[in-house]
Amino acid sequence: MEEEEDGAAEEQQRFSYRQRLKAAVHYTVGCLCEEVASDREMPFSKQTIAAISELTFRQCETFAKDLEMFARHAKRSTINTEDVKLLARRSNSLLKYITEKNEELTQFNTEQKAKKKKQLENDNTKSVAPAEAEAAGKDGS
Amino acid sequence: MEGTGGGFRKDLVSKLLRLHFTDSKTKVSGDALWLMAELLTIFVVETAVRSVRQAQAEDLALVDVDQLEKVLPQLLLDF
Repeated sequence: MEEEEDGAAEEQQRFSYRQRLKAAVHYTVGCLCEEVASDREMPFSKQTIAAISELTFRQCETFAKDLEMFARHAKRSTINTEDVKLLARRSNSLLKYITEKNEELTQFNTEQKAKKKKQLENDNTKSVAPAEAEAAGKDGS
Repeated sequence: MEGTGGGFRKDLVSKLLRLHFTDSKTKVSGDALWLMAELLTIFVVETAVRSVRQAQAEDLALVDVDQLEKVLPQLLLDF
């Protein structure tokens, strides 16, 4: 009896978590649709926005399962950008867009890395400089 | 480099994907998450724009579920 109650509570918790994620998707879809609506001067009915949200939420399931299988096929347990590119294979223009975005991202990452490296080098020279000055002072005396 | 304006947030995408993974050991790299957020944003905007175009073709003032239903089959074939 107690076990049954525990199971029910867990089920209830999982359901409410799912509902919260759905609400978050609904909010994001609402914002995006609002943008499109004001851009094209064509409003959406509330039901349409709800339907697009539900559609997006369910499409996520397909995406997640595909990504997991792609990674496993490559004998990895971490999904990387190559898997996402494979997900966008069905439409040429989409694949091109995603590939471009990926290149932008890698370029941004390398730039960030270079900046960090430079800062690290600067910090090093700063900490080295006083020591050298001290050494020079000792030599002088 | 955050997602464009009103797009999907990375933590939401992460939770959405994790909800459907069959293996709990599966992880997602940060770059892949960012790219997935971009892909989902494209998916929603593409759906919205195609529905708007359908409504315009039917000379309507409001996009309703009927217009979404009409563009849905081709949309799902493209993603």
